This record gives sequence, structure tokens and C-alpha cells, in this order.
Amino acid sequence: MTGLLLDIGYGHFLVLAAVLFAIGVGGVLLRRNALIVMMSIELMLNAANMTIVTFARMHGDLGGHSLALIVIAVAAAEVAVGLAIVVAVFRGRRHVDIDRLNTLRY
Amino acid sequence: MRIVVVLVSLAMVAGIVAVAVPAVASAQPGSPGSPGRPIPEQLAQLRPQVAPTPPPPADRDKQEGTGGWMAALFWVVALGSVGGSIFVITRRNLIAAVMGMVATFFAVAAVYMMLYASFLAVIQVLVYAGAIMVLFVFVVMILNKPEDEPWGLVGIPGKILAGLAMLYLMFRLTQTLWGVKPPDQALAAPRPVPVVVGVTQDPETGQRRLDTERRDWGSTAAVGTNLFDDYLFPFEAVSILLLVGVVGGGAIARPLKDDESGESDPEVTA
Repeated sequence: MTGLLLDIGYGHFLVLAAVLFAIGVGGVLLRRNALIVMMSIELMLNAANMTIVTFARMHGDLGGHSLALIVIAVAAAEVAVGLAIVVAVFRGRRHVDIDRLNTLRY
Repeated sequence: MRIVVVLVSLAMVAGIVAVAVPAVASAQPGSPGSPGRPIPEQLAQLRPQVAPTPPPPADRDKQEGTGGWMAALFWVVALGSVGGSIFVITRRNLIAAVMGMVATFFAVAAVYMMLYASFLAVIQVLVYAGAIMVLFVFVVMILNKPEDEPWGLVGIPGKILAGLAMLYLMFRLTQTLWGVKPPDQALAAPRPVPVVVGVTQDPETGQRRLDTERRDWGSTAAVGTNLFDDYLFPFEAVSILLLVGVVGGGAIARPLKDDESGESDPEVTA
């Protein structure tokens, strides 16, 4: 038990990323606000990034860092487009409750 | 309706895990990588000529990095990131959720530092905790409307089912990732890697050659050399993606014209 607490290995980082990912999945499943859902998606992307960086360190391969950087850029583009969609939906319908947003046109 | 969604996602997660577990278990450790694409003769001359790497000090990381303080730092960071992310998915107040997200991003940046990814840690703080969260705060301010109901999934059974799905996913992911065995020497501190610092031309033969130096693993120079050497095409593709994102975001968020749609609210579009 003390070894598990004091000897921080790669397993600790990977499990931390797994916990963060699961919390993100829970946010997507449980919340109805579109903004919170987007934040949960960001959380999942971060957890995946953390896994990539841990594996990069584990294997001494800098390609993982390049991949993580590209994932960050893709996440930024996704947030820009997603938030624009949220704003556009809010203009038309005055709410961003994803349970009530079940049609493609309005 | 939501229960169906949860069940389907649960089944998908179970399927993904069922596929992933044997794949991880059966992966051959230390199988030699493919030599990659053949390099043309001129490019091969441009490739950095690197002296053999000096042997690493045995288990330097054990002496310098890990130990009591490193463990304490890790647990503080883990508590901060998990607590911040739970804050995000439980708060009714959107600004509070954004602040929890910022805490999580800083904790993730600290984890990157602990993994020798100093460049990515800085990028994490700049891009996520800086730019993306500011964007979120702006949209929260534009919407300026408290949430009607903080939780989805009508009824207690739906919540319990979603919680169980989350816990099951956490359990299987933990089980899978905890079993990953690092290769030998993985605990030693990473050695400095050669990076390109310039090009010199031989005055007699006219041949050009890349000058290299050794820089810290995970530093800006090292990641940049890797990115612009092996990952140049994804990098360029991402630049196009960002351009499309900027144009698309602007086009989608633009106010509707009043003569086209009666739904447009002057109070909102102003």
C-alpha cells in the first residue's frame, strides 16, 4: 500500500487519465446543458492526450508529443465551431438544452 | 429515450473494451519497428549526422525525480484534476464549471511537466487554460441564462444507469491501463535528443549538411524538430483545419439577417 502511494510509475498517470476520461463520459451522459457537454468532451480529449504523453515518455518517443500538439489544435478548432453552433442555436431557440434539441431544423 | 441512449453507449463501451483488452494483451513488446519510407539520396545527405548517444546515468530519475516529494506532488495534482473535473460535471453555475475546468487544465499541465513534456505543459496552459477557456467564458456571458435543470436523464433510474456506465468504463480502463508494462530503462530520465540548429554548406563540395545539437527531451527545440521532420504533413493539415474552423465558426455564429428570418431577435443579435 505504501509502495502504491510512494512509487509513482506510469500506471498512476495512465489510471489518472482513465479516471478523467470516465468523468468526462459521465458529464456527457448526465448533463443537459450543451456547454457542459462540450467541456466534458474537452476533458476526454485531455485525458486521451495525457495517455499519449505518458506513452511517449514510456517509450522515449517524441512523436507522441507531436501527436498531442496536433490533438490540442484539433480540439481548439472543435471548440471554435462547437461554440459557434451553441450561440447560433441559442439565438433561434433561447435555450441550449440538448434534451429539447432533438430536431435538425428549427 | 435517454435510457436507450445510455444502454447503446454502454454496449459500445463494452465492445470497445472487449476488442482493446486482447489487443493490448497480445501486443508483442519490443518488436522492431518498420524502417520507414526510403529516403532519397539527397535527403539522406541532409539527415543529421549524430554522434552515438552517451550512455545514460543508471536510473538517474529514481535518484532525482521520484520519491517522497514527487509522490506528494503527483497526489496533489491528481486530486486537483479529479476534483476539478467532478466540479465541472456537478455544478449548476456555468462559471463555476468553467473555473473547475481551468483547475483541471492546470493540473494536467503539471502532469505534463512530471512527464518531461515541458513544451506541451506550456502549450496546455496557453491554449487550454488561456484561449479555450476564455472562449467558454465569453459564450457563457453571451448566453447569460442559468440552466433550467442541472441533470439530464429523466428520473432516478436513468441517473443510476449513467453512473453505473461511467463506473464500469472507469473500471475497465483502469484494468487495461494498469496492466501496461513499460519497456526496460523507461524509468531513467530521458536523454537529450539531437535537434537541428542550422544548415552549413561545405565550401569545397557544395554539399549541405544539417547542424545538430543535443537538447532536452520534450523541450521546444526537440518537439519542433520532430514535428517538422516526421509530422510535417499532419502539421500542414492542421493549419488548413484551423483555417476552416475560423471561417466556419464566423459563418455559423453570424447573426441571421432580419429580412430572411423573423425569428432573429434584435436584442440578441445586437
